[in-house]
Amino acid sequence: MFSEQAAPTAQGLLAPPSGQPPTFPRVAVAGYSDLSQPFRLGERSFGRQYAHVYAVRLAGMRPGLERRARGRWGDDIALRRLSELQEGEKCCVVGTLFKAMQLQPSILQEISEEHNLVPQPPLPKYIQPSDELMLEDELQRIKLEGAIDVQRLVTGTIVAVYGCEQEDGRFLVEDHCLADLPPPLPWSGPSSDRFVLLASGLGLGSVSGEALLSTQLLVDVVTGQLGAEGEQSCAAHITRVILAGNLLSQNTQSRDTINKAKYLTKKTQAASVEAVKMLDEILLQLCTSVPVDVMPGEFDPTNYTLPQQPLHRCMLPLASAYATLRLVTNPYQASLDGVRFLGTSGQNISDIFKYSSMDDYLEILEWTLLAGHISPTAPDTLGCYPFYKSDPFILTECPHVYFCGNAPRFQSKLLQGKEGQRVLLVMVPDFSATQTACLINLRDLSCQPIAFSSFGADTDD
Amino acid sequence: MEQPRRITDSFPRRRRRRGPGRPPGRLKDRKDKDKDKDKDKAQLKVRDCPRCPSQPPPDPALMEMLRRFDLSWEYGPCSGITRLQRWERAQELGLSPPGPIRDALLEHRDNPDVTY
Repeated sequence: MFSEQAAPTAQGLLAPPSGQPPTFPRVAVAGYSDLSQPFRLGERSFGRQYAHVYAVRLAGMRPGLERRARGRWGDDIALRRLSELQEGEKCCVVGTLFKAMQLQPSILQEISEEHNLVPQPPLPKYIQPSDELMLEDELQRIKLEGAIDVQRLVTGTIVAVYGCEQEDGRFLVEDHCLADLPPPLPWSGPSSDRFVLLASGLGLGSVSGEALLSTQLLVDVVTGQLGAEGEQSCAAHITRVILAGNLLSQNTQSRDTINKAKYLTKKTQAASVEAVKMLDEILLQLCTSVPVDVMPGEFDPTNYTLPQQPLHRCMLPLASAYATLRLVTNPYQASLDGVRFLGTSGQNISDIFKYSSMDDYLEILEWTLLAGHISPTAPDTLGCYPFYKSDPFILTECPHVYFCGNAPRFQSKLLQGKEGQRVLLVMVPDFSATQTACLINLRDLSCQPIAFSSFGADTDD
Repeated sequence: MEQPRRITDSFPRRRRRRGPGRPPGRLKDRKDKDKDKDKDKAQLKVRDCPRCPSQPPPDPALMEMLRRFDLSWEYGPCSGITRLQRWERAQELGLSPPGPIRDALLEHRDNPDVTY
């Protein structure tokens, strides 16, 4: 977008400044509605067990899966519960998957620290060939084997399996299916070019300040203070900026104060305090010009369990004076100009990456959409609030843009569904590492990366 | 014996306040106390008298029906939420829980034995 429209006007930079510099009004915000109400928790009570989450997940997704199973294997297949299974009878069972993994870190490792046993170091992937899959419904569980990819699937997915029970008590799977894409939403996108900038992983407060210049360049481009008139007019088409998590860097999470002696740490300030001040100043510059949605991430000062609640506005005193700043939850769902956005800050995808053989983040993102659930591994390996009434992570409608923050690199794909769904899958890269953000065109659901690079202290020239 | 023996008959309960979401065992014991006042029991740490001042003890048939609602597996786990919450959740998920249960729960709203 920027390059083709900016080039003709580049000569304008070499001309003397005109008396009346041209101004480009930003395109007005046409329709915005925040649909992340299910992710906002009011009064939180942790006195419940997690069995409720799995029970409502299964009960909520069972009708859809039964419909899918009938459509795939015929209307006359037998849908049974595990308690009604008979040996040798071909039937279909809907249930939750559980993967028994040997390397999965458990709470016992914390206990082992007390007993001076060596705890297991964090591994990039916890899969092993000896992992086993089990299917659970409301009452029983059964071991699965057969035409089902044990390495690929993760705990918490709701599947329908077709096969028969064998004499040794295992279920031989001939075929299985997931919930598939949710029903499509009607399209009412804008007719002219409107852009949304997605960035994540600003990583403020890190030890090296190299990404700071890139962050400042990003802010300058969006507010129109960079480039010739062509670039400024392009920037005026950006209607919104969404910051998808990890605004603070992992370095701010040091827990030295817990381990070191009190006299060493008495006067030290938490590293996140300075980082949040920097964030406030950056957001102030952005908010004066464009609406900004700020989602919390893994290293941000909010709760750990999903859904993460919005950052509190008392931490951002300068920026929260502006109504253009919106502090939102993670995951975040909103309708911008008739286009439905849904996305997370990346914890769900990286958790599935650790427990599945899928290596490509975009493939995992697509898989969660096909499984009909944003984060199936919560609450097993990813912290989750103990819901009891309904599971808000179940996908009931197909979003138009489905994004995930803090990916190792930029990836995007336009997915077409059988019922006319069109989803743009976007992996937003980690800005502190890649200095790349994404621009999404709402008119035709196209996405392009925008990279800011600067010459560091150690590069020549 | 007309009542099944419980472990709390022989072991006294400790003085410890519990939060919301009491396990079913405790509930049955408290119902027991309502019916068999002459049984020699250990001290109850939470007395029901200050909370529900002048109410007649609920109908044992009603308590039996509620207990059966708790233990029926179709409506999901019963621990940690009130019976009314569980009933409404079952209703929303389309599991058609029986109507009389809800009426009974609303009727005896202030009785903690009933609302769980």
